[in-house]
Amino acid sequence: MFTSEIILQTMISGLLMGCIYALVAVGLCLIWGLMEIVNFAHGEMLMLGMFTAFWMFTLYHIDPMISLPLCLVLLFLIGVATYFIVIKKILKAPFLAQILATFGLGIFLRYLAQFMWTPDYRMIKNPALAGRLGFGGIFVGVPELTASIITILSFVLLYWFINKTEVGTALLATSEDREGASLMGVNTDKMFALGWGIGAACLGVAGALMSNFYYIFPEVGFPFALIAYVAVALGGFGSIPGSFIAGIIIGLVEFLGGLLIAPAFKYTFVFIIYLLVVFIRPQGLWGRY
Amino acid sequence: MNANKKKWIWPAIGAILLLIYPLVITLPFPRHLMIMIFLYATLGLAWNMIGGYAGQISLGHAVYFGTGAYTSTLLLMKLGVSPWAGMLAGGILSIGLAFIIGYPCFKLAGHYFAIATIAIGEIAQHWMLNWDWAGAAVGLTLPILPESLINLEFHTTKVPYYYIAFGIFALSIMVTYWIDRSKLGYYFKAIKGDLLAARSLGIDVARYKFYALALSAFFTSICGSFYAQYILFIDPDSVFPLMLSIIVCLVATLGGVGTVWGPVIGAFILIPISEFTRIQFGGGGKGTDLIIYGFLIMVISIYQPFGVIGITKRFRKKESE
Amino acid sequence: MALLEVQQLSKRFGGLVANDRIDLQVNEGEIVGLIGPNGAGKTTLFNCIAGFYPPSEGTVRFKGENITGFPANEICLLGIARTFQIVRIFKDMTVLENVMVGAFNRTNLAARAKTKALEVLDFCGLAPKKSMLAGGLTIADKKRLEFAKALATEPTLLMLDEAMAGLNPAETVEAIELVRKVRESGITLLLVEHVMEVVMPISNRVVVLDYGKKIAEDVPEKVINNEEVIKAYLGEKYHASRRAH
Repeated sequence: MFTSEIILQTMISGLLMGCIYALVAVGLCLIWGLMEIVNFAHGEMLMLGMFTAFWMFTLYHIDPMISLPLCLVLLFLIGVATYFIVIKKILKAPFLAQILATFGLGIFLRYLAQFMWTPDYRMIKNPALAGRLGFGGIFVGVPELTASIITILSFVLLYWFINKTEVGTALLATSEDREGASLMGVNTDKMFALGWGIGAACLGVAGALMSNFYYIFPEVGFPFALIAYVAVALGGFGSIPGSFIAGIIIGLVEFLGGLLIAPAFKYTFVFIIYLLVVFIRPQGLWGRY
Repeated sequence: MNANKKKWIWPAIGAILLLIYPLVITLPFPRHLMIMIFLYATLGLAWNMIGGYAGQISLGHAVYFGTGAYTSTLLLMKLGVSPWAGMLAGGILSIGLAFIIGYPCFKLAGHYFAIATIAIGEIAQHWMLNWDWAGAAVGLTLPILPESLINLEFHTTKVPYYYIAFGIFALSIMVTYWIDRSKLGYYFKAIKGDLLAARSLGIDVARYKFYALALSAFFTSICGSFYAQYILFIDPDSVFPLMLSIIVCLVATLGGVGTVWGPVIGAFILIPISEFTRIQFGGGGKGTDLIIYGFLIMVISIYQPFGVIGITKRFRKKESE
Repeated sequence: MALLEVQQLSKRFGGLVANDRIDLQVNEGEIVGLIGPNGAGKTTLFNCIAGFYPPSEGTVRFKGENITGFPANEICLLGIARTFQIVRIFKDMTVLENVMVGAFNRTNLAARAKTKALEVLDFCGLAPKKSMLAGGLTIADKKRLEFAKALATEPTLLMLDEAMAGLNPAETVEAIELVRKVRESGITLLLVEHVMEVVMPISNRVVVLDYGKKIAEDVPEKVINNEEVIKAYLGEKYHASRRAH
């Protein structure tokens, strides 16, 4: 039935995909921890990252790995723009407005994409990264492997930035105590914009990486966003490393669950994790709830 | 006493107009339009109970609609149960679902609940697409039964559907009105206003959030059952989709959350527009209207979270100043 | 039997000890003042009693019943009401509606809640403003509303958390009067206060906290002259300079 080889293979695939989930989750966690606003358009921004890579490749024959920096920058700008155009206006708004504003944005982006680019599934054929590597019976796709390595590097870079640089510390301070930080001279407005920029930039990177091996279509972002919410809850509100690790765990559970029980219910397991976390340990594994 | 009576003049006039509407207007499309307005107004009012009054944002309300539609339909198809009983059963099942979704999340901040609702909405649709016994992606076509009130099916004219829909609509208005003035409503608004303060005044927050969601789920479910009997065909894409959750949310927000008449106004504005744009831009599932809905939700949240009623209140304040 | 009995209550937040083995008693009909410098742990003690978080150690007894760790809403039902230092009113509801929320603690009928609320508004002097939106009130009125909400729950013990902060002298006099009226109506009071001119005149007893510990408990006149208390508030130097005289 399920040989240990198949299980191992599934686990590895799950871990690799989990790295992508992890990066997506980190972006969400940053924004959420910074200003307690959940970006309900997170999945759609990821989708934009993927489409950027796709169109760069299809129209200008630029490989996703080369357009990765472009995706990063573009999504960074989109994040900052979102902050100034939408978020800034709802910082003091009623809770309903805060949730619906990004939710509306997500819907808007998703169906705009569908209108402009049709709901068809696209794929990048023959990207630079292709093929599989075999390690004693276990096969790993080159794009997936590269993606995980780059996401881990990105995370390390981000972690260093936040904890070891001055700007990063200002960001941390703002997320822990907005007023205190501003009394210390931190420009909270700029910090928020930066947070949104970086959070979205993570999606640019993840999107470019995924375009190497994943289907690209307007609704693609949604499941990833959902997993990101669960990852942030599991990892612990406000903990960026927590979200990262949680993302990987979820990748593992999703793939194993899909294998051992039924593929159609992959997301159900993820959701059950969510319910368990929320019920048993609301502060997540590492959170500062 | 006089002021109280005055408040009822406009709704009474409205009710009379709506009651004679199908007798005056005999073309099927305008009747269908009004039935849709009643349906969405009720859905909006139902969403309003948990979202507008209690302040818990549900972004996957379609799950209750679908539960109602499928429960009554399956009971009818497999066991021959009358749709009315099926409607009730669907409602009760939806309350159970509300408990499962809400209970873990109600003790926490609002974001967690919103996320849970999105997840459930998607998962439910996914499940139904794969559940062969319940029709899977193909859906269920309701059996054509002799036209009667008990069977809740009418084939020659839309008029009985119209009055049933009106009845459901009127009932939901009355229930909302009752909530608004009762302990439930006050507690809901307190929970929305300030959770800690609510607790310190003796409110069992989780319990009342559940009451709000249960009421909301029940009415949404009833609408689902009605819809199944009206269209005589249901599938996961028509009764569980995100689009439905979005429209319901928009109807309530556009009109004015936390009020009795807000969702009604929202439905009367939005549904005719959406039906007409569907005719203009064609169906095709391209989701063009969703672009507008998404944009509208954004704009309302940013500029006028209190909806149309919020705007009229501002005018009245300016007049009295 | 004391109305409220706190025994050996400690509360830790991670490594920080906010309350350290505090004993406190409030007898029926008393007004007890709880004072201490900033950070002494007064609000933490409040929150432990009122059920906002459970104490790490110790017990809280109310009317003889152990209520340690009970959730806030149950404690309100049992008869302890509290106000918040930073007022938590429902700003999108009217003044009357705000107080009705409190009144619903003892009834399920809107009519009865309304009657009770109007009574309380009258008692607190807010009746003329009953139809105003709570968000539009002045600070002093917001504090009065905060007070009225709690009063409407018909408590046996009312706990006020720095209810006098930010009031001008005229408003403070009115507030003290209100507190006296409440005591006369049979409600026991536990006040956390920073403003000495308020606490001393009205309290039967005063309890002093410093760095999480109880350092004094006595009638107001004696507490004022208590060495430890003076040291806590004004520091070692002042204390030393006083002794030198």
